[in-house]
Amino acid sequence: MNKEERLIKRYKAEKRFQFYGKAAIFMALLFLVVFLTKIFSTGYTAFQKTWLVIPVNYNADLLYLDPDKKPTTEDINDADFYEFGIETFISLDPDASEDQIMELKKMFAFTFERELKYYLLDNPDSFGKTVDVKLTASDDLDQVFKGNYPRDIPENRRRASDYQLKIFDKLDEDGRVISEFNASFFTNADSREAELAGIASSFMGSLFSILVCLSIAFPVALLAAVYLEEFAPKNRFTDFIEVNINNLAAVPSIVFGLLGLGVLLAVFGLPRSTPLVGGITLSLMTLPTIIIAARASLKAVPPSIREAALAMGASKMQTTVHHTMPLALPGTLSGTIIGLAQALGETAPLILIGMVAFVNTIPGTPMDPAASLPVQIYIWAESAERGFVEKVSACIMVLLFFLIFMNLGAQLIRHKFEKKWN
Amino acid sequence: MNKIEAKNVDVYYGAKQALFDINMDIEANKVTALIGPSGCGKSTFLRCLNRMNDVIDICKVSGVVKINDYDINQKDTDVVRLREKVGMIFQKPNPFPKTIYENISYGPEIHGIAQSKSEMDNIVEESLRKAALWEEVKDRIHEPGTGLSGGQQQRLCIARTISIKPEVILMDEPCSALDPIATAQIEELIDELRKEHTIIIVTHSMSQAARVSQNTGFFHLGKLIEVGSTDKIFKNPTQQQTQDYITGRFG
Repeated sequence: MNKEERLIKRYKAEKRFQFYGKAAIFMALLFLVVFLTKIFSTGYTAFQKTWLVIPVNYNADLLYLDPDKKPTTEDINDADFYEFGIETFISLDPDASEDQIMELKKMFAFTFERELKYYLLDNPDSFGKTVDVKLTASDDLDQVFKGNYPRDIPENRRRASDYQLKIFDKLDEDGRVISEFNASFFTNADSREAELAGIASSFMGSLFSILVCLSIAFPVALLAAVYLEEFAPKNRFTDFIEVNINNLAAVPSIVFGLLGLGVLLAVFGLPRSTPLVGGITLSLMTLPTIIIAARASLKAVPPSIREAALAMGASKMQTTVHHTMPLALPGTLSGTIIGLAQALGETAPLILIGMVAFVNTIPGTPMDPAASLPVQIYIWAESAERGFVEKVSACIMVLLFFLIFMNLGAQLIRHKFEKKWN
Repeated sequence: MNKIEAKNVDVYYGAKQALFDINMDIEANKVTALIGPSGCGKSTFLRCLNRMNDVIDICKVSGVVKINDYDINQKDTDVVRLREKVGMIFQKPNPFPKTIYENISYGPEIHGIAQSKSEMDNIVEESLRKAALWEEVKDRIHEPGTGLSGGQQQRLCIARTISIKPEVILMDEPCSALDPIATAQIEELIDELRKEHTIIIVTHSMSQAARVSQNTGFFHLGKLIEVGSTDKIFKNPTQQQTQDYITGRFG
């Protein structure tokens, strides 16, 4: 092979190599696009909620209230809105049979009593009048309206009956079916009813868990890394510790869940299903990740900086705190965010410490029971109702935004420090 | 008068002995040059004088190093106070990644030398003036020190060192990373600094040793072969090895 041929061969090899690289990036992007498209196309409808606007006659007789007296808040609170609701539904189809009345009722979310009551509480002037009231549609009709639910399959395999669809279509023709932004998805806790289920509990649970995890893992990991890297003598014992930290980073997360269950719950008796226990468990998992990242960034600080400070008569600690640590901070923060992002998406250990429980309250402190976003995804993905499918995707979207937000924050902090130090 | 007296100094890196029984006296307010081929132990000896070898885990130093008649190799010697008295300039300029001002104010700050902001300003200006850097940087002392040229960075390091008024300044090949003009500036500065400080400089360049120093020590393979006035070492060495090195026959 002469020189010329070798040159051509080298050029070709170079081009091929670059092509492989580009192909790899294309593949990665393709996966990402497919994944995101699927999530968004399934999930975006969850941010819309379907309401049925029906005429309601706040008749005193129907509510068993005194027609001549304006009812007080107490009167309204004591009134029976269940029977009243049924009567209202019958007015949609006065000829309805006994079975059909039950079907009419099932067109609405079971919260119709509360919704009817609160409307009257907010608008006491409606007493004795017939007004249009917005009621949450059942998840079956919600899905039908969003087009997620086929109407052309046999009735016995459908959840929405022909009768319900007939009434629904009539309401739709009259412009009485409206779709609005689903605020309750963000403000409600979990519910067995898809149309009412929200992520408030799991979002707060995740937020508290991450805060607990950060406030434990970051300082402990930073101190451990600084001590090991800057102060500890290099001997067999520290080698042994290093090997163990690296091993710890590779331990399956479910093992940490068992640890949380066996030690935090069983021995220390901390409250089950709480972000506090979740956060501590996650911090055990995050610890090695942060330690390894912090040690790597401390190692990357040029020794000349340490020598400069020591030669100026700075003590070992001053050298570390004034010079080495600030220079290692951006790298440490990146590692921390990676660790926290892992923790945020972690499901298995949380299931073991009971954060998989059905929680329909919103936690106010890390000591209150809560779910977490990934566990919420798991719970909803297991649910049979059609309405939870879009919720799963929507919850994934929220989790992704949470992650993007965190990474962005890390990037900003990193940027700020790097500017300052270089 | 002898500022520093080293007696029977041995240094080991693990099992390898780097310095063999060094005995050397260093005069106050003079520049003492340490010369010798690479790996001869001159930098190791320099680092014995402010215990910078402590930083290296495997390094073991024995013998007596007296500064102002006080043995610094004692167990209870406070290295922070020692290094306050014995400053050091390194081969590669190593300013902190902070502003010029912060680079200089760091030493006085940790040693509690300045009582007020204006006193600190004075120290910073004085140190920069002494390091012949003030005129060049006075308009940008709040900009990063790392943005200066190599020669300026090295003078910044010198200014940083003299800000805490050390009695002794150790220089480990301070010009090896600099161009000839910057080198000339530093050499001029060294001559100026010796009025207030005792200077020990390790150098690869024999001409530099001849230019800046009053005394010279010649190291070879971890041993101090010969020490004496620079004049004598360069013009009339007593040892054959010194003669050979100076005339360029090896090294």
